[in-house]
Amino acid sequence: MTTTYRDWVVRALTFGGILLISGIGAGCGPSTNAALERARANYVQAQQNPQISTYAPVALQEAQQSLHQAEQAWKEDKDSDEVAHLSYVTDQRIEIARDAADKKMTEAEMKRLDEERSNVLISARSHEADQAKQTAHEAEDRARKAEQELADLQAKQTDRGLVLTLSDVLFEYNKADLKPGALHNLYTLVTFLKENPERNLLIEGYTDSTGSDSYNLSLSQRRAEAVENFLLQNNIPPRQMVVRGYGEDYPVTTNNTEAGRQQNRRVEIVILKEGEVAANRMR
Amino acid sequence: MTRTSTILLNWRNVSLVCGVLAVGGCSSARPPTATVAQAELAVQEAGQSKAPEYAAGELNIAREKFDQAKRAMDKEEYDLARRLAEEALVDAKLAQSKAEAESTRNAAQELRKTIDSLRGEAERQSRNDY
Repeated sequence: MTTTYRDWVVRALTFGGILLISGIGAGCGPSTNAALERARANYVQAQQNPQISTYAPVALQEAQQSLHQAEQAWKEDKDSDEVAHLSYVTDQRIEIARDAADKKMTEAEMKRLDEERSNVLISARSHEADQAKQTAHEAEDRARKAEQELADLQAKQTDRGLVLTLSDVLFEYNKADLKPGALHNLYTLVTFLKENPERNLLIEGYTDSTGSDSYNLSLSQRRAEAVENFLLQNNIPPRQMVVRGYGEDYPVTTNNTEAGRQQNRRVEIVILKEGEVAANRMR
Repeated sequence: MTRTSTILLNWRNVSLVCGVLAVGGCSSARPPTATVAQAELAVQEAGQSKAPEYAAGELNIAREKFDQAKRAMDKEEYDLARRLAEEALVDAKLAQSKAEAESTRNAAQELRKTIDSLRGEAERQSRNDY
């Protein structure tokens, strides 16, 4: 009797338990969970993406963990809140994996772009270097040409600079007018000065000792100015020249012979070194 | 003999059923203090990263969920609090990773522009030369 009663109680409880369990199952809806299905599909897609599995394996692993937890939660007690929660975490972790992979790939690309930029800069620099070399060549050529021209002028190197002497025979007798014979040298000088605007001139007139000092001073000044005028007419700027007549001072040789006196009657054009100021180099 | 074993088996069944019911019914565990703290840290870190600039929406969601988690803690709804905190954490991390990816893409774009303009410059220069 007692046994029968206990047996009945047990059966009733078991039946009730089964009812309860099926009730929980029924309460949680169908045998699949939409959020979990989505998370699973999402994960499979991410896993099959070689970029994500290569560049973000750790983040993908974390997504797999929460997906596994979601699967467990669903299998064990069909707690839809927890499943939805874990599915959401899975989805977010997959997004994080995508971003991490994206960042890594962009960084790899930036490394390549950095190299590309260096290459562009290097080629630009070597181009600039070529240009600089060419410019240097041109400058050298100009300098050589200038030297050649000065040699053509038969200018003499002195401690004051290159000195070009226009002798007495290139001026009209006792006048300041230039004879045509002087012009060849002066045109060469014009060309040289135009190519070398940094080279200044001293134009100095001298006479022999014959005649009065004032006459000689005036004649030497006018002859020097005649040279200056010629250069001015040929567009050499006045700032490039300083003009001075010295009369019978600074003879180059004796005034006791006609040949000596002729040598002393002259105009000297001192071609200063590049950048030298004429006023500083005057006698 | 047979009956006894049946009874025992059935009792085991019953206790199993009760156990399942216990887990389902009174699932509110201990307060998820550590999880909430982790979420707070993640939200803070995201706030100091490039996220405010590049992923403001995601960051706001993370902050909102974290606030909800704290409110759930106050109401002693610990399961809810744990879920919200875990979600706030993952949302904050996503805001950060999204911002990093975006700012890196921007930097790459800038670099591409720089290279293009350098190329253009070089081309113009060589055209001027010859």
